[in-house]
Amino acid sequence: MRRLLMAIPTLLAVYTVVFLFVRVAPGDPAVAALGDYASAEAVQALRERMGLNAPLWAQYGRTLLGYLRGDLGRSLITGAPIGDQVAAVLPHTLQLTLAGVLIGALLGIPTGILTAVRRNCLPDYIGRTLGLVGLSIPAFYLGILLILAFAMNLRWFPVMGAGAFTDPWANLRHLALPALTLGIIMTSFVSRMTRSSLLNVLREDYVRTGRAKGVGERAVVYLHALRNALIPVVSVLGVQTAVLVGDSVMTEIVFSRPGLGRLMVQAMMQRDYIALQGLIVIYGAFVVAVNLITDLSYGFVDPRVRYD
Amino acid sequence: MSDATLAFVVVGMLVASCAVGQGQVLKIAFDAADLKSLDPHFAAATMDRAVVDMVFNGLVRYKPGDVTEFEPDLAESWEVSADGLVWTFRLREGVRVHPFPGAPDGYELTSQDVVFSLAKAADAARSAYSGEYVGMKVEAADTYAVRITLERALPASLFLPKVADYAGGFIIPKRAYAALADQFATHPVGTGPFRFANYVPTQRVELVRHDQYFRGLPRLAGVEVWYMPDVTARLSALSTGEIDIIEGVREQAWVDVVKRIPNLAVDVFGPGETEVLHLNMTKDPISSLLVRQAIAYAIDRTEVITAIGADVAEPLCGAVPPYLAGGLTCDEVKAAGLLYEQNLALARALLAAAGYPTGFEISANITERASYRKPFENIQAQLARVGIALKITVVDHSSFHTLIRQDVNPLVHYEAWRPSADAFLTRFYHSASIVVSGAKPDTNFSHSKSADFLIELARYELDPARQTAMWKEAQLTLLREVASYPLYVLKFVFARSAQVNYGYPLKSTLALYPQVNELTSK
Repeated sequence: MRRLLMAIPTLLAVYTVVFLFVRVAPGDPAVAALGDYASAEAVQALRERMGLNAPLWAQYGRTLLGYLRGDLGRSLITGAPIGDQVAAVLPHTLQLTLAGVLIGALLGIPTGILTAVRRNCLPDYIGRTLGLVGLSIPAFYLGILLILAFAMNLRWFPVMGAGAFTDPWANLRHLALPALTLGIIMTSFVSRMTRSSLLNVLREDYVRTGRAKGVGERAVVYLHALRNALIPVVSVLGVQTAVLVGDSVMTEIVFSRPGLGRLMVQAMMQRDYIALQGLIVIYGAFVVAVNLITDLSYGFVDPRVRYD
Repeated sequence: MSDATLAFVVVGMLVASCAVGQGQVLKIAFDAADLKSLDPHFAAATMDRAVVDMVFNGLVRYKPGDVTEFEPDLAESWEVSADGLVWTFRLREGVRVHPFPGAPDGYELTSQDVVFSLAKAADAARSAYSGEYVGMKVEAADTYAVRITLERALPASLFLPKVADYAGGFIIPKRAYAALADQFATHPVGTGPFRFANYVPTQRVELVRHDQYFRGLPRLAGVEVWYMPDVTARLSALSTGEIDIIEGVREQAWVDVVKRIPNLAVDVFGPGETEVLHLNMTKDPISSLLVRQAIAYAIDRTEVITAIGADVAEPLCGAVPPYLAGGLTCDEVKAAGLLYEQNLALARALLAAAGYPTGFEISANITERASYRKPFENIQAQLARVGIALKITVVDHSSFHTLIRQDVNPLVHYEAWRPSADAFLTRFYHSASIVVSGAKPDTNFSHSKSADFLIELARYELDPARQTAMWKEAQLTLLREVASYPLYVLKFVFARSAQVNYGYPLKSTLALYPQVNELTSK
């Protein structure tokens, strides 16, 4: 409960910082919304209607009161409720993020184990090299490569869009390549972290004791060492899950998927203060939630970890 | 062939013919992350204008594919009084407004809707184009007749664009606007060949055909407008057939690449946007006429055009492009001795005469957008040859527009389309439009005042020949003081599947995309 309550000042700080920073940046949302052909009177009228001529403290308080009522406000550019926009794109973002994390965990942890137990052997060299490639390659470039291979040449998957959730087959086909893009990058993080952590644990005294007592190598690795080694891996998965929500913007752009990242970038480019504030607060809440879940999951991985 | 087989084939053909009759959904992708506003009186960006163009009508319309001609749209005819002050439009009967919440069958458009819409267009709180509709009284003469009375007579070339299918001229049905209120920007309702069906933020807008469209049933069943900011993604989707038309890159290299892809076609069309270097006459050392002339002689617009590409860029030698009434051709400018053909020795001599024998250094902001940044960098290289060091700061597009309107830049590269010579000259060169200090601060970055008289005189001149002569003389005046250096007209570039048939020959369109109308098919 105490950790949940801590989220309130955290989110308030996030909102305050974003509120001030977006207004420091040059650029006028009224000009961005109306285009350069608009009359000066129209720009001024829109600024008034947007509430941008009100004192800063009034703008700050009005938005904050809205948040307390669960109202994220309306986009300065489209006039659409931000809550509706978030509701429309968030499922796609969460789906993509979770799929990427899942692929990362399913491929990364076994790869990490393999490269750790076969340290300085061929599988280790291959795994580490591929991991390095995965970490180095930008998401947008990897996405384009996957499109060229699997969408344009083999025609297995569509190039663009996100299938409707009402059509699971189409939805999965649209998800496959973007999820693989994020998943490959995630795999690199997870495998390297798993390898490093497992190698450290395998040097511990209790592992040596187990081996000395004649415990089989598989039992040493999977029953005794792996659980302890997974704590930093779970941390990485948690942090990366939060990061991916924001970082998936390039993947969303390359695959023309709707998403929270695209909404945020669009709001930033258009100086849509209200939308940007709302979206970052939502993102902040997501990060807080993911961190909380990550912390709680330590207890499952390592029974010594307990929260009051 | 057995009877059963024959019957099977016939049934198959019938089913196929029904499918053709039902039409297909055309998908068009724009270089945009999302929509901004689908209220036609606010829509300014290309992707928004495209949706608006398919959903709404004007009283008159630019002939599809050719912006040089007007033809009837919602109005079947019109007449103007002898003194040029009163325009009367006779509306078509039976024009149906799209269905909207509260009116599942829509309703018949009448003069009341037109009066409402033009009043909205004139209201700065509800329209970005209010400045175009001052001095105009609109009233319903009867159910199907609209009378517009002007305070001062305007020639048809300046009046008809105000009631055409462009910006404030799009007619918004009164009851639909009232019913949707704040939602109208993301749920437009009009009378056009396609009606709004759905909007998925950051992905697409879905339109379906308007079954009761007054020009007949559209051939397409619907149109999907996709927002795809990555050009590689757009081209990939076009190549695989997932998208039918895409907004391209306005560069020769891209055009050449796409031309080589089988089953694709590239459309390069007008009217395009003018690319002009504005010289701020209040900033030293640009304030010196000798320095501005030196800059003009230092630049070779052909070099810039070569970098952009001959297919997509045409030379621009006056403030108004030559295809608009009152536009200047390069031959006319040359005949007047104001072409400023590149002459580096003369440029250096002029700089020396102005007191800058070794040149000088200036700084300017430019947007990150390639169509602005690339020519500006080219100019930077050209100016360096005569000792002018142009330091460029690249900023995001929104910041750029704010900064140049704060009169920060000594040189402003600006890309624009305006619907008439008057709009070009007034918005960029009339003293009232001077940034920050003008009576109506707008986009006069040069602070020019010298053409005010001619611009105002031409605006109300009813004789087209005299009006054209005044506009041309105004531009020559501007060239004499080197208020700006016109570079080129950048055309629009789209690529499409070869199966797409627009239904009209595409030369130029004010919709800024290859218009999709009731005749378009694939």
